[in-house]
Amino acid sequence: MKRAERIGAAVVLLLGAGYLWDALLMEDVTIGDPLGPKVFPVILGVLMAMLGLSLLIRPVDGSPPRPLTSSAAYALVLALMLCAYGLGIEWIGYPVATFLFLLAASRLLGEKSWVAGLVIPLALSLGVFGLFTRVLDIPLPLGWIGKLME
Amino acid sequence: MIEILNHLGYGLQIALAPINLLYAFIGCLVGTLIGVLPGIGPAGGMALLIPLTYGKEPASAIILLAGIYYGAMYGGSTTSILLNVPGEAASVVTSLDGYQMARKGRAGPALSIAAIGSFIAGTIGVALLMVLGPPLAKVALQFGPAETFALMVFGLSTVTSLAGKSVRKGLVATTFGLMLATVGSDLPTGIIRFTFDIPKLMEGVDIIVVAIGLFAVSEILSSAEEMRAGEFLVEKVSRIWLSLQDFLESIGAILRGSFLGFLIGVLPGAAHVTASFLSYTLEKRLSKHPERFGQGEIRGVAAPESANNSAACGALIPLLTMGLPASAVTAVLYGALLMTGVRPSPFLFQKHPDVVWGLIGSMYIGNVMLLVLNLPLVALWVKILRTPPRWLFPIVLAVSFVGVYSVNAAALDLLLATLLGVVGYFMRRLDYPLAPVILGLVLGNLLEQALRQTLMISGGSLDIFWRSPIAITLFVLAAVVVAMPKVLYRSQSKLEVET
Repeated sequence: MKRAERIGAAVVLLLGAGYLWDALLMEDVTIGDPLGPKVFPVILGVLMAMLGLSLLIRPVDGSPPRPLTSSAAYALVLALMLCAYGLGIEWIGYPVATFLFLLAASRLLGEKSWVAGLVIPLALSLGVFGLFTRVLDIPLPLGWIGKLME
Repeated sequence: MIEILNHLGYGLQIALAPINLLYAFIGCLVGTLIGVLPGIGPAGGMALLIPLTYGKEPASAIILLAGIYYGAMYGGSTTSILLNVPGEAASVVTSLDGYQMARKGRAGPALSIAAIGSFIAGTIGVALLMVLGPPLAKVALQFGPAETFALMVFGLSTVTSLAGKSVRKGLVATTFGLMLATVGSDLPTGIIRFTFDIPKLMEGVDIIVVAIGLFAVSEILSSAEEMRAGEFLVEKVSRIWLSLQDFLESIGAILRGSFLGFLIGVLPGAAHVTASFLSYTLEKRLSKHPERFGQGEIRGVAAPESANNSAACGALIPLLTMGLPASAVTAVLYGALLMTGVRPSPFLFQKHPDVVWGLIGSMYIGNVMLLVLNLPLVALWVKILRTPPRWLFPIVLAVSFVGVYSVNAAALDLLLATLLGVVGYFMRRLDYPLAPVILGLVLGNLLEQALRQTLMISGGSLDIFWRSPIAITLFVLAAVVVAMPKVLYRSQSKLEVET
């Protein structure tokens, strides 16, 4: 699987080049500081692009990476659920978003029982919410549910 | 020497006063809780709890806060070992081998050695603090920006060269971390860099967000995939307690970690994170079986846990002997002292002996308390691993997210953590090491500022580095370290062929 290695190297190269591009476009200000805010990022960008190029031309020998199989789709779906969870926390509030996330993720990973599937998320989302907001005094958002309650 | 013992006796007398004992206990307990929860690190936890110290005697206030600091360091290792969720940057190193031990059914010994290592290191650290404090403070004063820059280059190259099989891939990871550190507004000039016009990114990328995304989220994404493919196996807990053999194997690592950690702790610049990374790489270098590191080697847990605890003692030296806070945690202590009416200065030892020696005395006692508090908890923590993965994974993600959210109360951080989780997932697949990213991020700003300050002093000339013997030594060491692994690995594989 040299191909996966090369794709990885290409991503490194693109990251370095893109970062370098952005660094070069940055306006330069110096206040008695010979380097200014630009030079360090430019060095990093060049270094990263060179590393990417080097890995592209001469990949590291070693054990080939695990092939992508259909199970990798589970990682992807889980990542999408996390995105939805992250977006939902401020919108529908921490307790509801956490409840829905735990419910969905545990079903994805193979929980069959609906009783456990509903009770555990309910207890955890309310428990953590209570611990943070009441005991530790760290506020967590309630979203529009909070507005409804007012 | 007798004078020091007298002072220590005086300090213990203060620390053993019932009210101060109670404060030390509360501090350790709250600190452990803060350490176990991801997100709020020691500095944040102490800052949250400063109101508790209002109106208390200065000695009592600082004993309480130091207890929180110590407790948080202890607690931080727990989640990194059990769940691969590092509570703070220094625990990232602990998770490398600690989590692998847990998956092999050895969570108990891993947690125990972390507690025992921290205890031994804390005790050694306090002893060194008393004896070496004043002379070391003078050495630390010689560390200008040029020497600090050289020290950080040394730290980064050491970790880069030993983190994975390929030095180039290690360098990619380090550079990626340094790049993440440049996001946000540039401190001296106020120029906004790499924020893609997202206002929230102006403050930069938080270390906890990256640590949790890159380690915890990516780990669970990979594990969920393995579980579906029927490859995710957690071995049954074989024994909860540490065997004598485990202890004997680790004691060398603990002692080396304690001394190394202390020395690095005195120096400026994210000391306890650097200390835990360097002691880990030192053990890997010294080991006859470096390939076992990352697979659940007990010394890989003992060394960084010891180093970060004694570094915590070392970091107190600039504060106590010169009145300079050199880290986030000591800055909080500095503020708390000011509030109780004690002004940290080079004369703190003379003017407020009760505060200094009371603190040192309470650190001894705090160490004992933490050991007594934490060892019985090991059996309880290990039970967490019996949770079936279909529940454990979502719960770990939810707990990590609440930790990430509590740092800045920003949903953007959650998306960032998820994105970094996906990046980490692919880095794991392609054998890019993850730990150097964290060290790069932690040191990035310090490194850049040190370089810019150095060149500001010299007016742009690089000669300044060659005029500092400390900097030259560190650069040479860095070069040796980068060149060495190939030579070392080669000679080792030859040996294996011959035998």
